[in-house]
Amino acid sequence: MSDFVEQCRGEWRRLGVPDPLAEEMAADLASDLAEAEADGVSAEELLGSSAFDPRSFAAAWAAERGIIPDPPARPNTRRRPLVLAAFTAVAAITLVVAALLLATGQPRVSLAASRTGPRLPFTPANPLVPPPTHRIVQADASASAPVEWILLFLAVVALGFAAWLWTSWGRSRPPAAV
Amino acid sequence: MAPGPQRRTELLRGVLDLCLLAVMDEGPAYGYEMTKRLRERGLAIVGEGSIYPLLGRLERDGLVETHRAASNGGPPRKYYRPSSAGRLALALGVSEWRAARDSVDAVLAPVKVEVAS
Repeated sequence: MSDFVEQCRGEWRRLGVPDPLAEEMAADLASDLAEAEADGVSAEELLGSSAFDPRSFAAAWAAERGIIPDPPARPNTRRRPLVLAAFTAVAAITLVVAALLLATGQPRVSLAASRTGPRLPFTPANPLVPPPTHRIVQADASASAPVEWILLFLAVVALGFAAWLWTSWGRSRPPAAV
Repeated sequence: MAPGPQRRTELLRGVLDLCLLAVMDEGPAYGYEMTKRLRERGLAIVGEGSIYPLLGRLERDGLVETHRAASNGGPPRKYYRPSSAGRLALALGVSEWRAARDSVDAVLAPVKVEVAS
């Protein structure tokens, strides 16, 4: 019994629970366990399956009291690296593609410069028909390539954001069990 | 389908806070005393968890008031009793529980239970 309480006490210390509160909870728990034992009630009957996991029990109790922040949900913790990895991969691929496009110029993805093409010569044979105006859209080889640059810029920003997310995730991970 | 003990645990989880408020409303009680009162009514805490985190939550939410007092010759214990907010929560919770129980009963009542011997 006392071993269970001691393990709880150690977990509260590790989690930064203030000493007076930890002592209060430890004293209440020790008294209840002792009384239960005197009544012939097992720790499992009093604590349920928590009797086999004092650290989780202690953490849950402190969290529910609002003494420490709630532990993050495990599914999110597990899924987060996958989502982050996918995001980082997409950003990196975008960066490479944009860089290749800029370096090779092939295929050229540029905004087309539109202008009115040269008018056909006026034909006196049919003077009533107005000369057609053709809008000839030409790809201007000398035009800048804003799409590539935008892609490159977005990829760099996304990679920076991903790096920040990885850093914050690394800091928020609970310490490994001793 | 969840086996019997697991279902019982899941059913209890949703109303254990009400049960704790109810037994401490009968008179201030400390942790183990509450489990004894529950046990006397056939409600044993089995399966996951225990009442302590739940008591912590009730305390954090302001649904219980606590004080320390000596138990019968034993060490000082932390006694719990419902606050005014806790009594209101208990009344509302009991009302919800009865409505849910009646609805489930209406569905399950026609079912004939035959237990093979």
